[in-house]
Amino acid sequence: MWGYFEWLIFRFGLLQGIAVAAAIALLGFLGCYVVALARYGPGEGFYRVTKVIYELIARDLPGTSWRRIHALARLAFQEAIRRRVLVVMAVFIVGLLFAGWFLDPSSNNIARLYISFVMTGTSYLVLLLGLFLSCFSLPADIKNRTIQTIATKPVRPTEVVLGRIFGFTAVGTMLLVVMGVLSYIFVVRGIVHEHGVRDIASDGMSGTTTYDSAHSHTFEMIEDEDGVVRRGTTDEQKSHRHVITVTEVDGEKRYTVGPPEGLLAARIPIYGKLQMTDRAGKLGGGLNVGYESEYQKYIEGNSLMKAIWTFEDIGPERFGDGAVLPIEMSLKAFRTFKGDIVTGVQGEIVLKSPDGRVESDRIGFIVKEYQLDHREIPRKLQGAVDGVPREIDIWDDIVQDGKIQIEVRCIDPGQYLGMAPADLYLRAGDSTFAWNMFKGFLGIWMQMVLIICLGVMFSTFLSGPVAMVATLTCLVLGFFGNLALDVATGEAPGGGPIESLIRIPLQTGAMVDLDLGNPVLETTIKMVDRGIMWVLVSLFQAIPSFGQFNTSDFVAYGFNIYGGLIARHLTMTLSYFVLTSLIGYFFLKTRELAAA
Amino acid sequence: MTTEIATEANTTSPETDSDIVIETRNLGKVYRDFWGRKKVAALKALDIQVRRGEIFGLLGPNGSGKSTTIKLIQGLIFPTSGHAYVFGKDARDVTKNERIGYLPEESYLYKFLNAEETLDFYGRLFDMPAEVRRERADKLIRMVGLHGARRRQLKEYSKGMTRRIGLAQALINEPDLLILDEPTTGMDPIGSREMKDLIVRLRDEGKTILMCSHQLADVQDVCDRVAILHLGELRELGRVDELLKVRDVTEVHAKGFSEELKQKIAEFIKNEGGDVISIDNPTTTMEELFLEIVQEDRPGARPSSAKPN
Repeated sequence: MWGYFEWLIFRFGLLQGIAVAAAIALLGFLGCYVVALARYGPGEGFYRVTKVIYELIARDLPGTSWRRIHALARLAFQEAIRRRVLVVMAVFIVGLLFAGWFLDPSSNNIARLYISFVMTGTSYLVLLLGLFLSCFSLPADIKNRTIQTIATKPVRPTEVVLGRIFGFTAVGTMLLVVMGVLSYIFVVRGIVHEHGVRDIASDGMSGTTTYDSAHSHTFEMIEDEDGVVRRGTTDEQKSHRHVITVTEVDGEKRYTVGPPEGLLAARIPIYGKLQMTDRAGKLGGGLNVGYESEYQKYIEGNSLMKAIWTFEDIGPERFGDGAVLPIEMSLKAFRTFKGDIVTGVQGEIVLKSPDGRVESDRIGFIVKEYQLDHREIPRKLQGAVDGVPREIDIWDDIVQDGKIQIEVRCIDPGQYLGMAPADLYLRAGDSTFAWNMFKGFLGIWMQMVLIICLGVMFSTFLSGPVAMVATLTCLVLGFFGNLALDVATGEAPGGGPIESLIRIPLQTGAMVDLDLGNPVLETTIKMVDRGIMWVLVSLFQAIPSFGQFNTSDFVAYGFNIYGGLIARHLTMTLSYFVLTSLIGYFFLKTRELAAA
Repeated sequence: MTTEIATEANTTSPETDSDIVIETRNLGKVYRDFWGRKKVAALKALDIQVRRGEIFGLLGPNGSGKSTTIKLIQGLIFPTSGHAYVFGKDARDVTKNERIGYLPEESYLYKFLNAEETLDFYGRLFDMPAEVRRERADKLIRMVGLHGARRRQLKEYSKGMTRRIGLAQALINEPDLLILDEPTTGMDPIGSREMKDLIVRLRDEGKTILMCSHQLADVQDVCDRVAILHLGELRELGRVDELLKVRDVTEVHAKGFSEELKQKIAEFIKNEGGDVISIDNPTTTMEELFLEIVQEDRPGARPSSAKPN
């Protein structure tokens, strides 16, 4: 979870952006020069290429007028409405109306299902819309020659490109806002369900609810300080609880089950750094059980192995009044024998100061597999300072320089606990769900803007269908870029393109070294492959990774989309907007608009 | 504008004569296919000059290079040889468009806009403030006789009406140079006459007009000078009255001749060694006849408010 500036400076976001821009600028210049060279010769060709760059900086950029951009954007907007984009809205509404038919109400987390559905539906529709609008507009104008009445006005190519991008973005934004509001209503209304009370124990302190929406709850009532029972809560079923209230009407107690709570969350997690110790208690441990993973590892029960999370910048002000330290975890259990299957695998938590002098008593827990375990550790608890037992305070004694360590161990011998860095976090309050959903939709909006930018850029030099295929290719590579990148970087076994091609007829296994009986040939193939792969990697780096912008999982799984992530995505979107606009400008500037 | 011209010296015609609005030098265009192979030489080494305040006609059959010339002059396509300058600036310089109005052959306008929106849109492209746009749009819509149809979408317009709104958009910036591609096609005789009257009036106001047309009569009616192109080459260039003058025939227009007097004159010409080709009453043109009838039938009606074709 990098902050914005950390990403920009230390994670080479800025550097990568500059590198991509520089590479494209260089390649673009060389490409244009080669074309100009063939047409006009070396001197004249160079003059013409530099003249276009000069004109951009000296004339077309300063001469660009917002009024003209606005006029062209408005035209693009009107054109889109005329092309009946509102049909998309109708499709979406129909989809929502019939969603109940295929969304399983007995799902473990109905909110997650609903949110995923609406956000996936929205993004597919909006991205397709952006694709069609942006790719076909300019080629259509060139084909039916309406561009001629525009190009004969004092209109700069910058304005044509920007007008298109802004106009289509406005259309998409309008649709997205309506879809967002409808989605929110759909989700909020969709999760509402009611329970009645089925059984109540004779003392009136516990009971079960009726079976509705494919589940029922048990509940327990709590006695207030004055000894009166007024309210209680149910157990957690399908990721939510209900509050039960008791009222007395004519001397008779009435139990009312409230609305579901905890389904629409936007947790603000504080993640820590995870280290593991090995069986000897030294750092650098962690085991794999079957599947090799560096990210998620296991610790063995009843051994010196433990997982240590270190959290930084911690203080009571980040947790409301600081009366409790809320921890949430979702650990995995790996069993080497059946064991006590009813109780589950046991573990323990110890809070520790970074210097190790202060530590809390062990807090035992039983692993809740496939569920989120929410615990609130009280501020004052029993522990030891330099081995001397006494009551300690989390904020005053354990936290030092804003740092705290949380150790997790597995108790049951022969059983294992699995965890990744994000599997235990401190929950620093909640953001509101509506705001989080808005941020999720902002992610879709940025994807849409990227598609529109790419589509408009391609449409400045390709015909409509070809521009669409090109944009679609970018979209697919952007979404499944990791797979493509694995192939390009050689992470995926089997070698580069030529080596893989040779392996197919030879039917050699991908994990075995290539053996053609000729070391020189093998080295040559690998070197050529490396060159091709370098080009491929550079290409993939230049394509925006659309998948990254998809933050709907944050919303669906109830995590706050943090500001740094949005800032990073906005920066990337802005960079691609500038880059594609410039490329679009150069193509439009150098092409004949009435050649047909 | 003057400062702009001064700062853009590298795209300016070397010899800027303020009276020359359009100048082409050795202008040529070869269309090539995708592989760069020569398809057709649409224009070969054209040298013309259009002067301020004249109506210049480009004449020629289909494929003679008229449209290519117009596109080259406006920077819509790029020359393969030579140069084109407008107001002393290179044809590819978009700032020259501030002073140009263009009516393309088929009025390539956005059919989903109405007349007001169309003019407002093109006004914005000239960076004109809202008030000026509104005022000019209103004036132009009245001038081209589309007041009753100002709120109708262009897709509902007839061809003649589309030409009118096309002309209005060409005039939105009060241009110094008007480029008209087949201005009278699709217009009925009334509209056609109005268009020609307007062209002459605009010339009288000091504007320069470059038009190309197949309608030879139109060209003859309004143009001061013409260039005749054929197969991409300039075949004839000069003043219309000079080009059309038949130098060995004399025409006398007079009134009140009797048949006897006609005989006498014929005798006289023969005696003096001349050759009588015919002595006859002249015929009016079909256009004149048509306009006379239509206007007689609708006393007081403005021809432009007649139902468009």
